[in-house]
Amino acid sequence: MWHIAKRELYDNLNSLRFALATFLLLGLMLTNAVVHLREHPERVQMYSEKVAAHQNRLKSHANASFYELAQKGPGTLHKKPSALHFCTGRGAAFLSVHVSSIQSWSWDERGLEGLWSLWYPSATPNRNNVDPDVTKVDWGFIIGYVLSLLALLFTFDSISSEREHGTLRLMLANAIPRHTVLIGKFLGALISISIPFTLAVLVNLLVIATSSDVYLGADAWGRLGIIYFIALLYTCLFLALGLLVSARVQRSAVSLVILLLVWVTLVVFMPGTLASIAGRSLPLKWERGSQRFFERRAEFDARWHEAHGDRRKQLQLSGEYVTKDAEQREHAHEAHLKRRISQVKRARAITRFSPVTIMEHLLESFAGTGFERHLQFLENVQSYARQFREFIVDTDSADPESLHIFGIREGVSQKSVNPEAVPRFEDTLNFRRDFNAAAVDLLLLTLFFVGFFSGAYLAFVRVEI
Amino acid sequence: MLTVLIRRELLDNLMTFRFAVAVLIMLLLVVANTVVVLKDYEQRLMLYNDAVKMHQQQLQEKKTYSAGITYAGELRINRPPNPLSIFNTGFDKRIGNKVTVSHTYVPSLWDSGWHGSNPFMDMFVSMDIVFIFEVILSLLALVFAYDTLAGEYERGTLRLVLTHPVSRGHILLAKYVSAMLCLLVPLLISLLFTVILLTTTPSISLNTDDFLRIGGIIFASVAYLSVFYLMGLLISAATRRTGTALMLAMFVWGFLVLVYPNVILAVIPRPEAPQARAASAFSQIEQMWEGEFGREWRHFLETDALPGIDWNLGLKGSGSEPYAYMWRDPRTLQYSFEVILAFEGFDDKEEHKIPHAQNHFRFLGQLVTRTADQTWIIRKPALEDIFIHPANVKRIWLKLSPVGLYDAATQAWTGTDLHGVRDFFDAARRYRQEVINALYDKEAFGSRQWFSSDKGAADWNILPQFSFQRVDVNTNAKRALLDVGILLMMNVVIFILIFLIFVKSEV
Repeated sequence: MWHIAKRELYDNLNSLRFALATFLLLGLMLTNAVVHLREHPERVQMYSEKVAAHQNRLKSHANASFYELAQKGPGTLHKKPSALHFCTGRGAAFLSVHVSSIQSWSWDERGLEGLWSLWYPSATPNRNNVDPDVTKVDWGFIIGYVLSLLALLFTFDSISSEREHGTLRLMLANAIPRHTVLIGKFLGALISISIPFTLAVLVNLLVIATSSDVYLGADAWGRLGIIYFIALLYTCLFLALGLLVSARVQRSAVSLVILLLVWVTLVVFMPGTLASIAGRSLPLKWERGSQRFFERRAEFDARWHEAHGDRRKQLQLSGEYVTKDAEQREHAHEAHLKRRISQVKRARAITRFSPVTIMEHLLESFAGTGFERHLQFLENVQSYARQFREFIVDTDSADPESLHIFGIREGVSQKSVNPEAVPRFEDTLNFRRDFNAAAVDLLLLTLFFVGFFSGAYLAFVRVEI
Repeated sequence: MLTVLIRRELLDNLMTFRFAVAVLIMLLLVVANTVVVLKDYEQRLMLYNDAVKMHQQQLQEKKTYSAGITYAGELRINRPPNPLSIFNTGFDKRIGNKVTVSHTYVPSLWDSGWHGSNPFMDMFVSMDIVFIFEVILSLLALVFAYDTLAGEYERGTLRLVLTHPVSRGHILLAKYVSAMLCLLVPLLISLLFTVILLTTTPSISLNTDDFLRIGGIIFASVAYLSVFYLMGLLISAATRRTGTALMLAMFVWGFLVLVYPNVILAVIPRPEAPQARAASAFSQIEQMWEGEFGREWRHFLETDALPGIDWNLGLKGSGSEPYAYMWRDPRTLQYSFEVILAFEGFDDKEEHKIPHAQNHFRFLGQLVTRTADQTWIIRKPALEDIFIHPANVKRIWLKLSPVGLYDAATQAWTGTDLHGVRDFFDAARRYRQEVINALYDKEAFGSRQWFSSDKGAADWNILPQFSFQRVDVNTNAKRALLDVGILLMMNVVIFILIFLIFVKSEV
């Protein structure tokens, strides 16, 4: 078996396609590295500036008064840019990089101020972008499109040309079992395509890692290892497909034509068509809920007048109203977000029929740039919001002079807050969670591979030489 | 003799396996995608109709003119989806599709907003028919071409043919014509299906101009197809071996279709940041509003009959609080100023101020309109330099590949290119002028309804209706002319090259 693999490898190393493939992959990976080094420092700088501004804002609120901090909330929380943005960054443009806490209104005639609630803005990067539309050259593109095409170009003739030349009959006359030939050919092709790919990946990582602007930690290297493994698995899938067609078809030219058309359908059109089907979602109605807000307001006004003279009762009513209002607004925003997310999840499930999309999802999960990452960010934000609210309640109950009525100035602690004590938002990535999210995709990809490979085996065993 | 040659080649090609596969794949992909994209178009049309209705309703709810006609106001116009966007989506689904019309600023592409559904769904890029052609037609052309000459060299049949008194030019021409005829079959059949699907969709009505535009798209497609076929022929003639020709053709295809369009923009030096240009233009605009505009307004307030320079003349009444707001955005060079008043009634003792207020708001309305017009004179060329110019440079780089040329040409035909989208904003600016003229005609600026609804609400029916017509087909043709011309030129140049190689080659 190793003999066959070695022979296959030597054959390939001297061929035109090997040279062209090396050249193409190296060029693409270098481009990717250079673009990343140009763009990534800007992203990181913008993030740190915004985080610093956010910290300052929190501090100034804390210094001003407890009420200020409790009423205005944590402010804008930013998503940490991933160091592995060069692996895949296409979907990231459509995911917003921050969540804000906003006050529902600033001031009303009774002097009540709205309490903060979380609001999830959406990213609309293209609304006034007049630049031409192009795909980003990230690893996702290089692996998904270029590497898969190369895999087919390396295998389309591996069996059919031997049959054409009659060497296959010769080989099988030497009492070598057919599956050994098949596996040998598969391994040979895999090694010969891994060489240029590994070389290109190493050059890419070398350029990125030696630059002082980008820091890759141990976690990032582990993720890169997984991504490399995924890329190889994905390549195997196409190698198996190539062998399958090559074994079935008598002439190599016909084999290539079929493979190309299959590739175009599988890689170029299937993701697009599936996405078109999936993306055609019914518009979601955003319930403004203004009617409900007005009703609540009217009810509050009535009860406030009822409690005429009883200052304490009025304070209680006002506090209740303000808190309740913010709560309901946040619920409305969250429910809307959830509907949108479930729509996207459904759409992503549909697009999983195509191996490219599966690969892209896997890359996104491990590179920390895609939709799963965004969901983690949203979760981080929500848990931070809970933490912040708990902090507010705890600080207030620590002050004996406070009336413990939230939402109004007179009702809460009048002391200022130690800015250092305010909890900080940290946007972390959980590796285990990423892996869990990716497990299904990983299994699907393996399933595709097993399917194609056993197809190739069956085809080769049954075929006449 | 030529006809004999063509017939032979035609039969050779038509009987092949690849021809059958080509027709099948094209049909399958194009029909499936047309159905999907048509559904998408219908949904966008529905959203557009909903948005138009909603905006009209919201405008009617505004009781005073100043509350309706503002920068953030309710006089919004929407860009209808382009029915030909199913051929090439271009900018149709990207650039903002609603814009507010107000006398306080001149609307442009950079002031537009978006009505639509779930913005997360933008992640899923949908396909259009031109994209399918871009990928498949080029691939098919190369697959048909790689062995035409190399195969004959290898088999030795070329020598046989040349023993007859046939010129080599004729052989070449016969091969070209017959292969093109074959390749046209899947192209035309699939387009026919698309047009049938289009015409049977009730929400789309195509007129003569649209059919001419589709004709333009077909012509551009044929030119594109021919470029790739000739490229394959060139490779075939130059390498003389089918195996090498095939491999080389695949790499050329991968480079031109997959790699070049996506890599080139990352590789070219980024155009210099036009930040200085933006900053100087914005400071000019700022000066205009804060200097001249502020001066004239204060002068009016100081010299009118009422004491003080309070911008709402100390008017007191029931209804929502009056407010003045300054809109500014240095990034898009936006600057405008608006005063919104929506009184519902006044005390009797305020009545004597009303004529003065009418005078004042008439003056202010005219002043704001004039300043907004002057702002646009500065803003327009600046926006052009900051946004449009760098984008056009990128576009030129993309056009170095036939794929870019084909894409640009078809976008020009469908009207989904940048010109087509900007036509809408030109129409929006014209509409703004009409609205202002109507406001002048009906004396709306100086009317009581400008700031108060106590003596009758604002009558929104005085405003003209907005309608947007796509440009006529001649303009589309003019915009596509250059790109199609270059594609044709490419054809001629490559053909001459092949001819030279083929004539000089030994058989």
